[in-house]
Amino acid sequence: MNPVLPDAAAEFGATAAKAFAALGGVHAARRAEEAPDVRGSEVAKALEALGIDEIDPRLDDDNLAAAAALCAEAGRVALPYPLVGVLLRGDDGPFAVVPDDRSRVDHGDLFESWRIATLDGRTGTASPAQQALGSRLGPFVADLASDGATDGPIGDVALHLTLTAWVVLGTSERAVELAVDHVTTRIQFGKPLSAFQAVQFQLADAAVAVAGLRELAHFTLWRLTVAGEAAMVDALALRVHAIDVARSVLRVCQQLHGAAGVCDEYDISVLARHVQPSLRLPCSAERAADELATAIGRDGFEGLFPHERAAP
Amino acid sequence: MDFDLGEQAAELRARLRALIAEHIAEDYLGAFTDDPADLDVAQRFCKTLADEGLLTVSWPAEYGGGGGSVWEQTVVREEMWAHHEPRGAQYMGLNWVGPAIMAFGSDAQKAQHLSAIAAGDVIWCQGFSEPDAGSDLAALSTKATPDGDGWRITGQKIWTSYAGMAQWCVLAARVGSGERHEGITMFLVPMDTAGITVRPIRSMLGPHHLNEVFFDDVWAGPEAVLGEVGEGWAVIRRALAHERVGIARYARCERLLSALGRELAPVWDGLPPAIPAQWARALIQVRVARLLAYRTVRAQETGEPPDVLASAARIAVTQCDQSVAELLFQAVEDGSLESGAGAPLHGAIEDHWRYAQAATVASGTIEVQRMIVSKALLGGRS
Repeated sequence: MNPVLPDAAAEFGATAAKAFAALGGVHAARRAEEAPDVRGSEVAKALEALGIDEIDPRLDDDNLAAAAALCAEAGRVALPYPLVGVLLRGDDGPFAVVPDDRSRVDHGDLFESWRIATLDGRTGTASPAQQALGSRLGPFVADLASDGATDGPIGDVALHLTLTAWVVLGTSERAVELAVDHVTTRIQFGKPLSAFQAVQFQLADAAVAVAGLRELAHFTLWRLTVAGEAAMVDALALRVHAIDVARSVLRVCQQLHGAAGVCDEYDISVLARHVQPSLRLPCSAERAADELATAIGRDGFEGLFPHERAAP
Repeated sequence: MDFDLGEQAAELRARLRALIAEHIAEDYLGAFTDDPADLDVAQRFCKTLADEGLLTVSWPAEYGGGGGSVWEQTVVREEMWAHHEPRGAQYMGLNWVGPAIMAFGSDAQKAQHLSAIAAGDVIWCQGFSEPDAGSDLAALSTKATPDGDGWRITGQKIWTSYAGMAQWCVLAARVGSGERHEGITMFLVPMDTAGITVRPIRSMLGPHHLNEVFFDDVWAGPEAVLGEVGEGWAVIRRALAHERVGIARYARCERLLSALGRELAPVWDGLPPAIPAQWARALIQVRVARLLAYRTVRAQETGEPPDVLASAARIAVTQCDQSVAELLFQAVEDGSLESGAGAPLHGAIEDHWRYAQAATVASGTIEVQRMIVSKALLGGRS
């Protein structure tokens, strides 16, 4: 029993953190909104320098752990890049899990061809059909047009859901740190906001929620390495939980920033905007929870007691 | 990374489940129901576990225990709580009174108490909380006044579980006129000593759980002091640390969610659509609570300070207990109002809901845990 990320992966994460800081941290996301080419130039180069081409999360547990650590660091700065998709790239380009009814992909405009899959098991290839949405919550989200169905295995779906949850984990962890920084320096009523127990308790609950998400993220990596395709249910569970935690934690952390929580001058606002595609694509938490309930009833859920139900 | 608890833990789990299946009825709801026979079941099961060498799995071998790893101890906690704690009132003696006597007790105290606890012969209660000292335990005011070579103890304890059935009490009292932690001293007192009165408190938890205990000029000899006079706070800290990871509430939650899935299988597709999704989320919450508890156990194993981790785990575990309780009630709708053998899941759902209401209070309130977590988070910056 060892629930801790291997040292090598943790060290790789620390190296990635330095590289992302050199890009300007969250400021890289702000710059990419002004000049989207930043993604394909500076960010892609930084990732290349980190050796992203040599990481294949499908290969073994060390690769998977390194990829996860990298994704968490990317989440901490809202790295403007389709990192998970590129980590799971194939001959047809990066990989995306897309909604059932349209191939909507974050940074979909950045590559000419994508390998795509839906949660209901359809696979294919697609390419950008339109410009990115350019919206505040999905600045780089683009719809792809299908180039045809393929018979490829959909095994990467579980990996995609899991690594995306690691991005969300990084964002959530950073949000709590930003909130702690803010409430300890912002003086109101003659004392720091952190002197108020109402503030302390909200932070404690957020920190516990994020700590629980991290343990579940670690556990899910382990399940992916020992359970193969049966870990799809674990990846779905992690996705549901990551969305649930991020929604409540980001809300609290924005609230604790006061009006600054919605101002892009503050990192919390940029994080809260840029994480939205990871929370909404390929489907909502509610739809994922419905899928999960069905999957658990059919396949079970690793734990202390059985949960699969016999078919009626 | 590896989340497998290991072969020994798995074997122990299988052995415990086999014994439970043999000796404990499927619909057993613990020792503290309205039926006194349920207490007898627990007392007999403790003897069975003792005969099998399983009652003191977690104790060091030098005290006749199994020398079990922290993971085997975890398995015991999980299996016992999942199956409605068939050790009844004895888990307190096993979990922390025995270990505290090992750590702080005299040779005579060890000889007198450890073998009795290990044999499954004795029930202990803990005299900590007082009417004016709950979360703020260091405010306790029960007085121990020197009298000859011993002490006279006067004061009142409250919320004392099992006081009506216990043979012994670990009692915290204050020697001298010091404040806060100063002067607090632990005494091991037989509950049949003259001057002790127990008054049960009616509660939704059922009988035996909550009591008031009055100490009126109760005599305690010098041999009753556990550890040094005035050094009782160290014993209390050890007890509370043990209690923080002590109850594996998530294990019973998971067993009930599993049973609910089976019970409702024939009508599953006709449930309000929100229920299956909430059931799935509850299973996630149970998994997260278990993993946070494991993180604390891992910290104990590696010597990492476990205090903040334990508080985080406790917040998650107790909230999990309450949200699972509410989901179970939602799922069985108006059947939630029934109790007893004819109620949904033999009354286990109704029983769980009532117990869960105290989860965020028992052994330290969730507010105290939040204070510990936020203090660590803010690092003195508040």
